[in-house]
Amino acid sequence: MGVTLTPPTPADRAQAARERREIDSSCRGPVLHYAASAVAWLLVGTTLAVVASVKLHSPYFLTGSEYLTFGRVRMAHLQAVGIGWSAMAGMGGACWLMCRLSRATLLYPKLLHVAAGLWNVGMVANVLGILAGHGRSVEWLDSPPYVAPFLVASIGIFSVWTAATFVRRREPHVYVTQWYILAAVFWFPVLYLVTVGMIFWVRSTGVMQMVVNWWFGHNYLGLWLTPMGVGAAYYLIPKIIGRPVHSYYLSIIGFWALALFYSWAGIHHLIGGPIPAWLATASTVGSMMMFIPVIAVAINHHMTMLGSFHVLRYSPALRFTVFGAMTYTAVSFQGSIESLKDFSEVAHFTHYTVAHAHLGAYGFFTMVMFGLFYYMIPRLTGREWFSARLISLHFWCDAVGISIYFVSLTVGGWWQGRMLNDPNVPFGNIVEYVRPYLFTRSVAGCLMGVGHVAFALLLVANLAGWGRKRGIGPAYFVAPAGKPAAGEPAPV
Amino acid sequence: MDRGMVIIVGALLTFASSWLGLVLLPYRQLQNQQPYTASPGDDPYPRQLSEKALAGVGVYSANGCLYCHSQQVRSARFGNWWEGGEMKTGADIRRGWGNRRTVSRDYLHDRPTLLGTMRTGPDLANVGSRYSPAWQHQHLFNPRSFNAWSTMPSFAFLYRREPVEGGKRAETALRLGREWTVNPGYRWRPTDEEWDRILASQPGLADALKAANPGHFDVATPEGKARLLDFWLTTEEADHQVVPTADADHLVAYLLELRKAETPLPEAKE
Repeated sequence: MGVTLTPPTPADRAQAARERREIDSSCRGPVLHYAASAVAWLLVGTTLAVVASVKLHSPYFLTGSEYLTFGRVRMAHLQAVGIGWSAMAGMGGACWLMCRLSRATLLYPKLLHVAAGLWNVGMVANVLGILAGHGRSVEWLDSPPYVAPFLVASIGIFSVWTAATFVRRREPHVYVTQWYILAAVFWFPVLYLVTVGMIFWVRSTGVMQMVVNWWFGHNYLGLWLTPMGVGAAYYLIPKIIGRPVHSYYLSIIGFWALALFYSWAGIHHLIGGPIPAWLATASTVGSMMMFIPVIAVAINHHMTMLGSFHVLRYSPALRFTVFGAMTYTAVSFQGSIESLKDFSEVAHFTHYTVAHAHLGAYGFFTMVMFGLFYYMIPRLTGREWFSARLISLHFWCDAVGISIYFVSLTVGGWWQGRMLNDPNVPFGNIVEYVRPYLFTRSVAGCLMGVGHVAFALLLVANLAGWGRKRGIGPAYFVAPAGKPAAGEPAPV
Repeated sequence: MDRGMVIIVGALLTFASSWLGLVLLPYRQLQNQQPYTASPGDDPYPRQLSEKALAGVGVYSANGCLYCHSQQVRSARFGNWWEGGEMKTGADIRRGWGNRRTVSRDYLHDRPTLLGTMRTGPDLANVGSRYSPAWQHQHLFNPRSFNAWSTMPSFAFLYRREPVEGGKRAETALRLGREWTVNPGYRWRPTDEEWDRILASQPGLADALKAANPGHFDVATPEGKARLLDFWLTTEEADHQVVPTADADHLVAYLLELRKAETPLPEAKE
């Protein structure tokens, strides 16, 4: 846009830095509370994931324990990573981004500590309750009945606080990240209440519960995690490489198209199922229309990066974020195609869908959150990450891990689907065929687990104050071209 | 209008559109569905589950059975394969998972509805028509006692291994060889030394096994002894039995009542 700005004077810069420090110190407590809890849930969820994964190919592993039977561990895993790690990472990040972008300090941070605490209590009850046999087998909503009040109270506080921070903004320009966050903190509580109400309270008949279930399941990703992930990437990429977003107008189109079409996409999970046919068709249309926001966001993220790819060599935060942003494009294209009936006919009911879900929730969302954490946490604690090598280990374990994961289950799942569709193939052959792919997945899961342990170590070290003090430059993978590794003051 | 209001109102409207379209409309369409009665006086279909089976739904969902087993038979037009140079469709029905596709009315009384999205194991919509209660119990106790390739978890924790009181077995006790019952959930096999000790402590055992399994093998050789062990492992334990707990009974009652794809429904015709 044709606005010329006068370059800021040193005094302006100092004033802006002071303001940023003030904002960061106001939200430090709750954001770190959310972030640390999220990483704890990530470790719990990863452990559960590996247990469940091994059980699928080695049924004698930890058998005989009712608490660790596959079905319960599977439910507990989804809750721990989906509702524990992902939501808490997103909320912590959203809180900080909202404060920063609104140039507003956080009011009464103690109340957000209460919100994070409530979410954690709910999650402990959730995971332990499921393992104890109180799970409900409603995908994404497996939590025992006594969990919902904690989550609702917590998200209620969080949403009101995020909106309040936005209302108190001192920055007149509303950046696209703020739109996404504001919409997400509005969507999720409404979505959750409507769904829980319609499945468990109103007691809708038969398949109607499943329709609401998948409307929720898909929108949890589409209207809660995706806006926060995309929003965070919109903030991080331009910020780290120091260039404005490619197109302001595209970001508007991307946002509104996502709001309109993503919410219509969920029911394609029931294609071929006992639901009115027009419903699945409507959702397929919604899914295909998702090409519009995805392409808009893809152009914006990738065109902004164009010419700055060398920064990926040294900036950890950017490397994670760009990995996530690129995966977002890929996984969304794949998702749209998966909603087609002919494709779904094979891929549905197989591990192909599991691979797709992990590419979205992990390859995209989780990787962007890692990027956000690497950027945000040093600014909150005033400490740099103590080991660039460990960050590198984290990145490669996760990037290679999710790639192996995706390829093995995509290939295995596709042929599983082809064989399921041929009644001349005995069921036992399919089970045996899929086993090596599931074993490969377990290996990939362990690799990702190593990355998560590295990340947790870095976070604990940072919170414990073991890293270098900020001010002499961030922890880079390698020294940036033309700059010494440590020397120049880092941008705050 | 303030930028914040634009976002909130816009988010509300887009969200409401999908709620109206994907939730409220089908809700209204399906809300008044009634059980089907073929001719006056017939039992309406679907029937309510028995009390035992309802408790079984609880066991089914608490243990996440849904994460490997779907409960929906897809249409005769779904699922295609090549056979004799010709493309055929209707894989679910051909696999024997049901006589017809399932439709929304089949799930009228289900709560929660356990449609499922994964087929690591076979579809269960009509499993009640396929197996006997005894098969279900033994299979739940250890699926590999039927199919060596099975990766289904053992649900031995739904069963109790107990001493046989007064030499009389319970009627509900599983009829399974000791290899499956000595260590519930696993497949037990003694080491060679243990087997020697067992043979030494029960003098008549070797002869009895040999008599019951005639054939040319020499019990003095290691191969012969191993063969004897194979025979012994398939016999039931004399002093212990495995009986289902109430949870196992309920679960099996539910599985037996799963007959969603049998009774003809007019709307299921294709």
